[in-house]
This record gives sequence, structure tokens and C-alpha cells, in this order.
Amino acid sequence: MAKTAAQWEAKPKFPETHYVDSRVYTDEAIFEEEKQKLFRPSWIIACHESEMAAPYDYRLFTHPTGVPLIVIRGDDSKVRAFYNICPHRGNTILYDPAGNAKRLTCIFHQWSFDSRGNCVDISRGEQGYQERFCKEDAAMREVKCEVGFGGFVWVNLADDCPSLREFIGGAMDILEPYMQQPMEVFHYHKARVRTNFKLWHDTNSEFYHDYLHYFNRITGMMQPGYFDRKYTGFPNGHATVGSMQIQYDKYDGSKERAVGWPGLARGGWYMVDVFPGMTYNLRTSVLRIDTAIPLGPNEVIIEFRGLGLKNDTPEERRQRVFDHNMIWGPFGRNLHEDLLGVHGQGRAMRRGTDSRWVLQGREENNTIHDEVGMRHYYAEWSRRMGRPAYRP
Amino acid sequence: MVKSEQRQAIEELVYRSCLALDEKDYKTYLALCDEDFRYTISTYSPEIRREMVWLDHDRKGMETLFTNLPRHNSDHSPLTRHATVYTIDLDSSAASVVSAIQVFKTELDGGATQLFAVGRFHDTVKLNGASPKLAKRVVRLETRLLGYGYHIPF
Repeated sequence: MAKTAAQWEAKPKFPETHYVDSRVYTDEAIFEEEKQKLFRPSWIIACHESEMAAPYDYRLFTHPTGVPLIVIRGDDSKVRAFYNICPHRGNTILYDPAGNAKRLTCIFHQWSFDSRGNCVDISRGEQGYQERFCKEDAAMREVKCEVGFGGFVWVNLADDCPSLREFIGGAMDILEPYMQQPMEVFHYHKARVRTNFKLWHDTNSEFYHDYLHYFNRITGMMQPGYFDRKYTGFPNGHATVGSMQIQYDKYDGSKERAVGWPGLARGGWYMVDVFPGMTYNLRTSVLRIDTAIPLGPNEVIIEFRGLGLKNDTPEERRQRVFDHNMIWGPFGRNLHEDLLGVHGQGRAMRRGTDSRWVLQGREENNTIHDEVGMRHYYAEWSRRMGRPAYRP
Repeated sequence: MVKSEQRQAIEELVYRSCLALDEKDYKTYLALCDEDFRYTISTYSPEIRREMVWLDHDRKGMETLFTNLPRHNSDHSPLTRHATVYTIDLDSSAASVVSAIQVFKTELDGGATQLFAVGRFHDTVKLNGASPKLAKRVVRLETRLLGYGYHIPF
């Protein structure tokens, strides 16, 4: 029987840890608070080391809080990160998303910086500033930067943050054995979607939505071992999903993957969800990395990377690219479906739609259709925000 | 020098391929393609400074793709492909054809149309049969931000 307004408003018949108030996905003030309490003190993936292999190679990255960053490999090969904001008049220093620059020179007044963030030239400095201001006063703002967990470049805006390894804890134990060889990014694209960033992370934190994917139903859900996959929660809001053997040959036009991954069982598939909006997804022959960059409570850019091994032969790389594109490329079967799913949530949960609760009540002994992955995320969300997600 | 009848036939082949995919008429689309047809979508990423391939199939792969697509959930907003043939360079039995392609997407609810993607077709057209056939199509995309994406190629 359909619900009345009062019934629609009533709290779900679950423990309060098993649902969230949909305002966590729509409220502007909550979103601004999330940027400071979730993203600012967290380690965030900015890029991969293969995108900046040589000294002076750089990548630009817009941090989820909105801060524009330059990530650059120095003359000493160390990777550092700085605000892409000139300390003079607040202008953008570098414009191209990637490149190689021995000097970081602001086009506005030609103030120039080296790859360690030191100011090396102020145009007509002595004439204008005399003894009052010099190059030492004009350094770039550096932020914490570490390379780790598969060669990814992580940044943290908080000067007093814990180390990357402390932040991750044991969450990468399941994947680290498979990330011992140097990797290389072969795919990168962004998707801009009118939805909340947490809804994308929710999708990566539960497999109940495999009903959305014909490919996953055929090659996974209908195959032995699927319902044995388990979620494991870790401190700081991270979670992992155990593997199974995907039966790729069950999908027309697909076949058992010709290229595997060192150490990974045939057809294997592990996932690690990293709080507050990143996912490692190692599926048989390709590692996919998602990084959510929220633009507002109902808009997000998701960066997608596909990686193979640096020492791939041309044929191995071609096969990895093919495998990636079949399900995860911009024209791939699964990615479009996942993005369509969260787009639909964004439509239904915009401010004013009278969306009320989001249920996370499935309990199946932490196995693949259990919604414990999401519950684990919102427990950390509640801890950081200082109030429960069911009463935000 | 391309004869005007040849040019007309080649242009019509490019335009018919657009019309067929606009209509999701995969049978007609494949009938325009040679048995050795190869279809690729590629682009360059300034972010990772690499060439990327986003789709790559032979004719059999395209047939399978078209068979599988109705089994999947997808955006139902129709696409309209607008091509303009720029250049045709003749070889002995084939032509290299470069066309501009713009793809527009129209919302089902309300009918608003937005530009979805721009790029170029780099086609190889076989001319030694009764009618010209697409032997190879490389869709070279400029647009890389495709929202929540799309299942049907351009």
C-alpha cells in the first residue's frame, strides 16, 4: 500500500545506523562543512607518478576543497605540491593541465619560482620593494605530498596531518601484493555529473546495484563464488571487497581475459574504497582509480584512470585497453550505467524534491549484497561531522 | 582528381552512416561497411599527455556490440550526428576522407538540444565494388567530457 505524507516522513524501521537523511546529499551548508571536515584533513589522490616521470614534469589538480594545486617533480626527482596561486596578486601560475617547466612563471608580472617552491625572480624587485620585501618573502605555499600505494601522488592540505600510511592503515593490505611492479596510466577522462559525490562513493561501496549491470549479472552474480565476496571495514572510513573469479566468457563478445595481473588469480577482482571519495578497482587485467572532486552538493567531477604495467608489451597493453574499454571506458557497458544511476539519484534528491531517507539496511553477513560498506562510510562521516548522518 | 559522381557517392556514404546510427539502424549501418571494417574512437589527453583509444572493434566486434547494447540500461536521449565532408584524397581503389562531426543530444523531456561532442571522421572508403564501402573509420574526438556517457558510438 502506498504511503501518506506522514508515512513518507516517518523514520525507517531500521537501527539509526542503517539509513541516512537525504539532506546529506543536498544541503549547501553541509557540503561546505564537508569540504573542511572530510576533504581538507584527508589524503587525496592528485595523479600517478607515471604522469610526471621526468624532473620538472608537472600536473595540475583541483583539490576537492577547491584549492588549485601544482604537483611537480623537482630537480632532485622528489614530488612536491604547491598552491597554483601566485603569492603576488593571486593569479593562476600554470594553465596547461600537464607539462614540463623548469621555472614556474606567472604570466601576469613574471614572478618566477623553482620546482621546490622558492621564488627565484621578482621583476624589478629592488626598485619596487627596496629592502621591504624580497624573494624569500614570496615563496609558494607548499602542501603535504607523498607517493605511495601503487605510485599514486597523494596530497593533504593540513600541515599537521598524519602520514599517508597512518591514514590508510590496513585498508590496502588486500591490494599491496598486486602493486609491487611499476604501473602506468593509459586512460584518463573526467565525467561531470549532477549528483552528490557521496552517491558515487556509495555506488562503489555496494554491489547490490549489480542488478543495474547486465555484464555483472552474467559474468558475476550468476556464477559460483559471487555471494561469498565480503566487505571489510577499516579505521578512517575505508573498506575493502574480497575477490571472486569473474566468468568473462559468459558475455557475448567477451572471453576469458588473455592478460592477467601479476599474482592475481585468474578472473580476480579486488576493490578498496578510500574515504572520502576514492576507489581502487583491480579487475583482472586493469587497475581503475576513481577520484571524486565535488563542485557542490549536487555536482561532481569524477576523474577516471586506467592503469597497466609499465613493462607491458604492446600486445599486452592493447589487450588491457580493450578490456578497460569494454566495461569502464566512456563508451563502456558498466560505467555509463553506473553514471546514469547516480545521475538519477541526483535528479530525485535535488533540493525541494521531498526525498527523505536513503536506506542502507541490508544485512547479509557482510557479503556482497550487504550494505555494510555504506554504513561503515557514514559512521566515519558522522564522527568527522560531529553528528549522525540520520540527523544531519 | 575526384570525379563529381565519386565525390557525391562518398559523401552520401558518410551521411548515410550518420543517419543509420541516428536511427539506431545497425543493420543498415553495417551494410555500409566492408567485411574488413575497423572502427576506432581515439583522442589525445593533455592531462596524461598520451594518445588514448576509447573503442576499437572489427566488423564482428561491432556486430556483437550492437547485439549487446539493447540488453543494457542506457540513456534514451537521441543523438543527431551532423557531418561535413572536408577532403577526399583518392588512391588506386580507396579514398581517404576527412569529415567534421558534431554530435547533438536531445532531451526526451522537453526536447532541449545540446552539443554533445565534436571531432572528425578519418575514413578509408573502398571504391572497387558496386558501391563505396567504409573500410575503416577513426573517430577522432576533441570532446572528452561526455557527462554520464553513452553506449552507442558516433
